[in-house]
Amino acid sequence: MISNEAKKEIDFWVSKYPEGRESSAVMQALTIVQKENGGSLNSELINDVAEYLEMPAISVQEVATFYENYNHKPVGKHVLRFCHNISCMLNGSDELISYLEDKLGVKTGEVSKDGLVSVKKVECLGACVGGPMCQIGDQYHEHLTKDKLDNILENLT
Amino acid sequence: MNEVCFKNLDKENPASIATYEANGGYKVWRKILNGGFTPDEIIQELKTSGLRGRGGAGFPTGLKWSFMPRNQEGQKYVVCNSDEGEPGTCHDRDILRYNPHSVIEGMAIAGFVMNATVGYNYIRGEFMEPYYRFEEALKDAYEAGLLGKNLLGSDVSFDLYTHLGAGAYICGEETALLESLEGKKGQPRFKPPFPANVGLFGKPTTINNTETFASVPEILSRGGQWFADLGVENSGGTKCFSVTGSVKNPANFEVPMGTPFSKLLELAGGLKEGRKLKAVIPGGSSTPVLPAETAMNMTMDYDSIANAGSMLGAGSVIVMDDTTCMVKTLTRLAHFYYDESCGQCTPCREGTGWLYRMLQRILDGNGKEEDLDLLLSVGEKIMGNTICALGDAAATPVESFIKHFRDEFEYYIQNGRSMVEEEHNLVEEEASV
Amino acid sequence: MSDIEIEIDGQLVRANQGDSIINIADREGIEVPRFCYHKKLSVAANCRMCLVDVEGVPKAQPACSTPAANGMKIHTKNDKAKFAQKAVMEFLLINHPLDCPICDQGGECELQDVAMEYGSDVSKFNEGKRIVPDKGIGALIQTDMTRCIHCTRCVRFGAEVAGIVEMGGTGRGEGVKIEPFLTEGIQSELSGNMIDVCPVGALTSKPFRYEARTWQMNAVQSVARHDLVGSNIYTQSYRGKVKRVVARDNDSINETWISDRDRFSYEGLNHESRALKPKVKIDGLWQETDWQEALKFAIDGIKNNANSSEQFGVLSSKYASLEEFYLLQKLARNFGTENIDFRLDQAQLSNASSLESTITLSEIESIDHALIVGSYTRLEQPMINHRIRKATLNGASVNTINSKKFDFNYKTGLDVLTSPQKLRATLQSVLKAIHNKTNKDAPSFLSQVSPEDIHNKIADDLIESKNGVIVLGEHLNSNLDSIAITSLIEQIASAADLKIANITLSGNSLSAEKVGFMPDEKGMSAASMFNESTKAFLLMDVDLEYDFFDSKSAQDCFNQEDVFVVALSSFENQSLLNGADVILPMASYYETSGTHINFDGQAQSFSASVKSPGDSKPGWKIIKVMADLFELEGFDYIDSTQVKEQALQLSRNKSSFKDVDFENFDDSQITTHWQYTPYVTDSVTRRASALQKTNIGMIDSAFVSEATAKKLGIGNDDLYLGVPVSIVDSVAEDYVFVHTNQARKA
Ligand SMILES: Cc1cc2nc3c(=O)[nH]c(=O)nc-3n(C[C@H](O)[C@H](O)[C@H](O)COP(=O)(O)O)c2cc1C
Ligand code: SF4
Ligand code: FES
Repeated sequence: MISNEAKKEIDFWVSKYPEGRESSAVMQALTIVQKENGGSLNSELINDVAEYLEMPAISVQEVATFYENYNHKPVGKHVLRFCHNISCMLNGSDELISYLEDKLGVKTGEVSKDGLVSVKKVECLGACVGGPMCQIGDQYHEHLTKDKLDNILENLT
Repeated sequence: MNEVCFKNLDKENPASIATYEANGGYKVWRKILNGGFTPDEIIQELKTSGLRGRGGAGFPTGLKWSFMPRNQEGQKYVVCNSDEGEPGTCHDRDILRYNPHSVIEGMAIAGFVMNATVGYNYIRGEFMEPYYRFEEALKDAYEAGLLGKNLLGSDVSFDLYTHLGAGAYICGEETALLESLEGKKGQPRFKPPFPANVGLFGKPTTINNTETFASVPEILSRGGQWFADLGVENSGGTKCFSVTGSVKNPANFEVPMGTPFSKLLELAGGLKEGRKLKAVIPGGSSTPVLPAETAMNMTMDYDSIANAGSMLGAGSVIVMDDTTCMVKTLTRLAHFYYDESCGQCTPCREGTGWLYRMLQRILDGNGKEEDLDLLLSVGEKIMGNTICALGDAAATPVESFIKHFRDEFEYYIQNGRSMVEEEHNLVEEEASV
Repeated sequence: MSDIEIEIDGQLVRANQGDSIINIADREGIEVPRFCYHKKLSVAANCRMCLVDVEGVPKAQPACSTPAANGMKIHTKNDKAKFAQKAVMEFLLINHPLDCPICDQGGECELQDVAMEYGSDVSKFNEGKRIVPDKGIGALIQTDMTRCIHCTRCVRFGAEVAGIVEMGGTGRGEGVKIEPFLTEGIQSELSGNMIDVCPVGALTSKPFRYEARTWQMNAVQSVARHDLVGSNIYTQSYRGKVKRVVARDNDSINETWISDRDRFSYEGLNHESRALKPKVKIDGLWQETDWQEALKFAIDGIKNNANSSEQFGVLSSKYASLEEFYLLQKLARNFGTENIDFRLDQAQLSNASSLESTITLSEIESIDHALIVGSYTRLEQPMINHRIRKATLNGASVNTINSKKFDFNYKTGLDVLTSPQKLRATLQSVLKAIHNKTNKDAPSFLSQVSPEDIHNKIADDLIESKNGVIVLGEHLNSNLDSIAITSLIEQIASAADLKIANITLSGNSLSAEKVGFMPDEKGMSAASMFNESTKAFLLMDVDLEYDFFDSKSAQDCFNQEDVFVVALSSFENQSLLNGADVILPMASYYETSGTHINFDGQAQSFSASVKSPGDSKPGWKIIKVMADLFELEGFDYIDSTQVKEQALQLSRNKSSFKDVDFENFDDSQITTHWQYTPYVTDSVTRRASALQKTNIGMIDSAFVSEATAKKLGIGNDDLYLGVPVSIVDSVAEDYVFVHTNQARKA
């Protein structure tokens, strides 16, 4: 079920495209319903979006599985999307990711026991001058160090 | 430095419309709306300026704009490529954050020139801060009557919207971006037809990079020749470079084309303490890596970098020092292309996985002697045979890394461990960043 | 018109500007390997197998998506082209299982063929191969997606031809999986074509699985006769049994596609209920016997029971061959009876057969507008519907006047919901609207009619169309008002200058009509034979439960003591055993030679693909021997070709329009309409088991509106005439639409 607020948000995106091109809003629709669903998608939501935008369900599924930012398994309340690409790697991202895994007792891709965080290794997030960096929600955290990470984790509730 | 796209960087509230206008922003657009500029004049100025597409391919912008069937009936579109995903690249992000109005104005001008009344700025889905900044700028521009219908009483209209991506490097490729804008998987289209004829929603479309659009207002305001003179032959103007990796102060710098690499390195504070320059990727991960000496002798412009054996690409300078393991670095890049291949065409879909697996196997200590030649030959078989340039981009680093650092790869295969890490005894040390 | 000249492999060739290199090469017989390219699908250029060298272009170019330009010099086999082709072949094979010996596609695999020619012997690939889990896509298609080479032909087929987007490519990169969203099975009536378009063994025929290797089979050209199209097919048999049916190209008929019904119905041939031995019923007990005895028993029975020749009736399904229809009517007429009919499912003998189609299959593709009346075209005539769909892809619009809103695979514009009893009124309104708009005097019976908005809109579309067609479908058959309706359709077509596509009668009906397998004024139609006056029947391929409009009257009649029934039949079932007195086992489809006349009037002949099982014999031979035993003249044929020649000489006896009484008609009753799913239309298909397990095959619902349900006192999931009720919005009032695979009980 897509909530009315979510529908309103989707409609805002739909309004940007020419008539008959509602499906252009599918990526945002998925982002919106994913957020509403605690960070991940499922077949029911895919179907709902398909119905709402009058698209074949498989076309929505194609989109939902093509783009990196959609999750198909439950995730933590906060997802730490850690860049491990070249510029960040050259500045020690691998070590920080290991540190994080050890500290949280999870491997990348897993959710912490309390369900609060999950860690995901991602490709370049376009903040290379700030590497090592990670994204949590809408926010980028740059020039990370172990101390900074500790601090960030402490403030996640 | 910082004369065009980063012009407002040191001002207070650089992203605001007030700051932008106070520094000459929207001057050109207002002039156009008052009938003071014709499309042909604009194209001419751009040609004079020597502005080349900043998205990586370096195609002359004036020429590209002249290809649009401006007088053809029906809807046409202007699309801005803010998908910035090339590893090592992050200056479009800063343009969006600190100078969004230059992009808006550049796109509006393009709309006028191409007779396109609608534009989309495709911003990568992770760029939420830039997205909010850009949306705010859009709101301000609309409120100022600079976007919308019949602007300032003229018969010119331009509506501009943002579209957010959702995580796919390939959507930076212009036709994949169009597919994505249409609500599909970002799979590149084969060309012909080109977007100028069949683009967004099947209509003629011009796509340019964020920095390209952002450069346009300043060029038109100060003249094509002024811009051309900033740079060198064949590389007009300034260019934003992201300097990252083993430097003291990684950052974005807008410098004139033709600036020596050594100067750029200096601006970034030079190498990290106690390290020596080993190699440089000058244009983003898809461009060939160059050994230190070659890099130190080049200047940052299209021709010089080409002569050095690489490409200016997106202007993303990745600096590696003497402690960098080239096997590990290449494997990381190979993983990137393997991960980001759209999966549409055979050589890239199958070849990127093959390359990555072989490299990972070498990294795991299970390399075989014949692997290096095989890597090269797989790369050669991908190269040129794919729908889009991602295939080439995946093969390029393999070729250049092995070409310049073959001994390191051989050592790894023979000994099952890294020559560099051994030399620097870094294996444990690095764990304490 | 060739306007440019290019050079391929040193050969100068004229071509059209913009023609793709692969098209030109194909035309010139120059072989270019390919996987994703398919001449009937959009160009994807994703496999990269067709890379060729174009002089002056640094990269090898895909022949499928590169348009030719004047002066182009192309090399398809030089070092550069070969290098690229070999490279792609190697990439395709690294993750493809090399299990050809156990793959059902082995021997007809495009990958295998191309690999032989373009592959290199050793692959240096040492990494693990990809394994792809299968989701399963229903009863007809076996998936083995590890073999998939991602050419996306099946995906494009679904989107572009079937018009139902079900398959897609999920994920990305190496992880792309070609799969449907759900595992409930494909919904398309054309789904089997995916098997044909799949170049490898990823999609194969499920019923055919492990049945035979392709090279062991005997392929015979044949013609499908389940619908009006007569799609061209190959039957492939092994050890005397048809094991598979595949499409045979014929651009003007079925292009390169066939319906699932045409593809999978063959399974019915091997059904356990085949009639294998002649049988007679003596004192209520069935006894197997030999042909001589059985025929004698049959002839005597007919002679003894029919006191006069008018007491003899001859009935056939609409699926017999031209030759069978011809001989059987000849037998009847020489015997002295006009009681001949194949229109077993008609409620009222319509004028339908007088309404001739005025458009051809391939012309349908270029119409600009269609008005569909009384038809779920997609399921009734899949290939005709496909042509309409193609027209819509080129911009044609489609309106419908139907009793329920159907699931078309194209967008319909205006959908008018009308019950069968109100159809006359609706059509009158449309006709009147046309007259009003074209300032013509309307006939007097329209004087009281005042069209509503929707009728005016329908009329506008009809008048505005330059190349429109009105499609009249199967629903007419069970409409008690069909005479008026046919007449109105005719008048609308002429008033708005429209072509007519009459698809009311399916199967091989046009053969039956051609040879006059219908009574003249002196004879009785099927429906009127089941009274006291007919004492002996000869039935050909008739199913007593499924085939009659009023199967109860028919069976009651056949079951009477003093009615003698001889059945030529390929199958036995209980109702036949009850009703018949003699069963003469008849060869079925693909077991006999014959002729089918299709929508375009084309007479397509076919020979037998396999021998019929047991003691069964071709229908035309049985009839001939019976005629001899009746001592009738003119049956000394040597082979079926002679029969065919005579039959084709008959010119269709066009019955004139019956006069229509437009004044008196009671439209106040609640009516029920029974439509069969496409997989129970004929005796063979009905017994094809895989088709029954598809979504289409399992349709079984009595659709009714909320208001009508109330009137009838029924609710969801109640049984209405044995069919589960489904209350829906999109169905006409005072009307029940029964869409089912069950035998008619109305
Ligand atoms: C794999 C791939 C990724 C690309 N990514 C980007 C990108 O992130 N941003 C960008 O502006 N151009 C990118 N491009 C280049 C675009 O295809 C296109 O050339 C550019 O947007 C044109 O604008 P320009 O002429 O202003 O450079 C990419 C190209 C390829 C092949
Ligand atoms: S080269 Fe790679 S990314 Fe580009 S179309 Fe082919 S598979 Fe997709
Ligand atoms: S046939 Fe041309 S790329 Fe597949």
